[in-house]
Amino acid sequence: MELLYQLTDKNIELLTLAQGEKICYCFPLDLDREGNFRDNSYTVVTDQRILLLEEGSCTKAYRLSELEKVVSEPQISSGILYVVTNGKEEILGRYSAKHLTRYSYIMRGCLLLQRGEKERVISSEYETACLICGRALPGTKECPKCTGKKEGLVSVFLTLIKPQWKLLCVILLLMLTATAVTLANPAIQQHLMDDVLIGNKGNVQTAVLCLGLMFVMSLGIVFANAGKSYLCSKLGSRISAGLRKELYVKIQLLSLSFINERSPGELMNRILYDTGRVREFMGETFCNMFTIIILFAADALLMLILDWKLALLAFIFAPVAVFLSTSLRKYIRKIFHMQGEKADKVNSGLQDAISGMSVVKSYGQEERESEIFDRNTEEYAKVQRNNEVFFAVVYPFIGFVLEAGVYLVIYFGGVSVLNGRMTPGRLFQFIVYTALLYQYIGWLTNMPRMLMNMVTSMERIGDVLKQEPQIFDREKAKYHKIQGNVEFDHATFGYKSYEPVIEQINFKVKPGEMIGIVGASGAGKSTLINLVMHLYEVDDGEIRVDGENIMDIRLSDYHSQIGVVLQETFLFSGTILSNIRFARPEASYEEIIRAAKMANAHDFICRLPDGYQTYVGEKGHNLSGGERQRVAIARAILNDPRILILDEATASLDTESEYLIQKALQRLTSGRTTFAIAHRLSTLKDADRLIVIDGHRIAESGTHGELIEMKGIYYSLVKAQLMMQENEN
Amino acid sequence: MTEEFNLSQMERETEEMLKIRYLTKHNTVFKRTEGGFVSLSVGEESYSRIQVIRMFPFMEKDRFISVRSVGDKSKEIGIIEDLKDMEKETVQLLTEQLNLRYFTPVITKIRSVKEEYGFAYWDVITDHGECRFTIHMGGNAVVHLTEERILLSDIDENRFEIPDVGQLTPAERRKLDLFL
Repeated sequence: MELLYQLTDKNIELLTLAQGEKICYCFPLDLDREGNFRDNSYTVVTDQRILLLEEGSCTKAYRLSELEKVVSEPQISSGILYVVTNGKEEILGRYSAKHLTRYSYIMRGCLLLQRGEKERVISSEYETACLICGRALPGTKECPKCTGKKEGLVSVFLTLIKPQWKLLCVILLLMLTATAVTLANPAIQQHLMDDVLIGNKGNVQTAVLCLGLMFVMSLGIVFANAGKSYLCSKLGSRISAGLRKELYVKIQLLSLSFINERSPGELMNRILYDTGRVREFMGETFCNMFTIIILFAADALLMLILDWKLALLAFIFAPVAVFLSTSLRKYIRKIFHMQGEKADKVNSGLQDAISGMSVVKSYGQEERESEIFDRNTEEYAKVQRNNEVFFAVVYPFIGFVLEAGVYLVIYFGGVSVLNGRMTPGRLFQFIVYTALLYQYIGWLTNMPRMLMNMVTSMERIGDVLKQEPQIFDREKAKYHKIQGNVEFDHATFGYKSYEPVIEQINFKVKPGEMIGIVGASGAGKSTLINLVMHLYEVDDGEIRVDGENIMDIRLSDYHSQIGVVLQETFLFSGTILSNIRFARPEASYEEIIRAAKMANAHDFICRLPDGYQTYVGEKGHNLSGGERQRVAIARAILNDPRILILDEATASLDTESEYLIQKALQRLTSGRTTFAIAHRLSTLKDADRLIVIDGHRIAESGTHGELIEMKGIYYSLVKAQLMMQENEN
Repeated sequence: MTEEFNLSQMERETEEMLKIRYLTKHNTVFKRTEGGFVSLSVGEESYSRIQVIRMFPFMEKDRFISVRSVGDKSKEIGIIEDLKDMEKETVQLLTEQLNLRYFTPVITKIRSVKEEYGFAYWDVITDHGECRFTIHMGGNAVVHLTEERILLSDIDENRFEIPDVGQLTPAERRKLDLFL
């Protein structure tokens, strides 16, 4: 996202920059104080000052050193910018939602400048619209339209189909054959009419020969087209399968930050829908594209050669046909869209009413609900009826008009034939060519849209493929057998660069120690643990494991020595066996049973109908929360991790299963370095040490007893929970 | 930095949240701050900056205004039942603050709507001036607040209102057809 808009020279002059003063950030300030839209107004941050440029004059300027802070405060679909000096807040200006995200970076940006740091805030978020052409961006970094021209479709295409060049050659050959045969057929027909049939010039033999030839050619067209379609579908499927594979591999490689910025649905769309579109394009558009373009050009050329006057006459209607077919397509899309909208409304209304049936009934609102439904269905029926009428009645007329050029040719050509300037066969040939021409106009007008769809999809795919994974093995990364020492050294991290979640964290953990992490929700407990798991990298400072920088340990080795039990246990679709085995597929049955026993899972697994081979997951047997938890613990035990992470592992469980799980966890954690997060502080009583996080930092640390004695945050948290329990009892 | 945990205090606070306290011209003093915000003193309490929130932003623009403290733990100070019952200056002050918070331009004229590759590009005149914006064709960009009243959300989540579709010219309505 652009955080430094370019100013005109005139505007820069207005800033009266001091010697060496540099502009660091510049955002449009697109609303005035009353909320009216305006242009040519900016918030400018230099390394010394923050200034406002409003419609050709510099209205405000503050030295950053004199400000406490600069704040961008989101409002309802807009935002305000204010500064704080000596505890007083002063509004600088307003901006629309278009720049909301942009302004969220200004606070951190100014803070860094105030501290005199060289670092500048950079935004990895995407613009919603192209800054050059203003078109909305379909979730891509670059505008398909603007860069599409630069990079050239051809090159995108070539890289795509290069590995399939053999198949492509066959397709091109078939395309040429189909074109040649399509164009040659009318010539034979002309010969048959003029030289054989009319005036009894030929004999039966030649007629049969012509007919035979025509038959063979028609057959040839059918075969060539069928072959071409088949091979193009094959090509499309191969290419999209390749892309899908590449995408999937890449998404697995990319760090969580990339995944978390996008919804799972969006990524799934890119893998399934966008590659599907590429396949569709290859199978349907690409396969006909060259044939039709060549055919179109050759057809027009042939017509000009045969009779240029008549050809020009036939072309007269072409622009009309282009215009008609484009607007027709637009109209059809519109009415289909409308029909779709109405259908959606009926569907969602129905779904609402059926899933909420018990509420509807218990409040006695059946009648009102049916009325709403009736109204929606009626609207839908009306739109649908209109559309049917259009296709049944209006459409044929339009089709007639679309081919009006042919009638023009028939009339003038007919006159020529009657005057003896043209043979009937030639006229017939000409008519067939004209009909072909008009037939393809409709198709060609649709091509830009199909091309654009494909380019957009390619952009979105390319966008993922181009991403560099942020977490990857350094060159010197090596295998390391973890002992269990973990050390945070001035670690600072934020999911967005302008918003640190934890700052300057320092602590050391000895092998086998259990560390409890306590703090309010959103304080950064899970973030701390994500860093231990090396799912993210610290922005500042270091994390060391056994004295080695975590970044110097090979990722796959590191992760294979870590075990995780989370609050919500995710089981993959598959058997319990494969779920326990997930991290160590080569584990023997005995090892698995041992692990399940240690996790207190063996008993309930044996009671399941299919034992260890009971199918669980999305469509499988429903395990309770506690059971899933125990499967996860068994999974962790089997992996024999050196570092163990428990994130709210015992929250939301009933007492009995909690006891079983506590027991299982005790077995699991003994002798392993453990990081545990829990809201219920009683579950952390076994911890060797507790860390309390507050305000992005470690506020307190020590044993349970020490912290109680301190009478700090931990003490009041414990007391609060105790009182709640007493109250419940 | 630690507050002694006190159950009775917590209970009191929870009880307090149940009460509806109405702010009237008799029990409040609203003042404009130097920086352009508004301060409030009500009884013993005083707030250097308050914010105002509409409880029914689409239907009751001037009634049921929640006056709240600012910050992460923003709390309701009280409710203004009807803005027009307040002092004239207060009405002006608070209206200004409401306008600062709520930004939903009303479309007065539709110049053109162009559809291209799944997005619709609008060129309109609003009560806040000329504006071009883009909405997603699929999804929930167009919401019918009532049969006639439409709320549009663009790709940046700016919101635009068409208060009465019936008031548009036939040509404008035709441009809207796709969305109705």
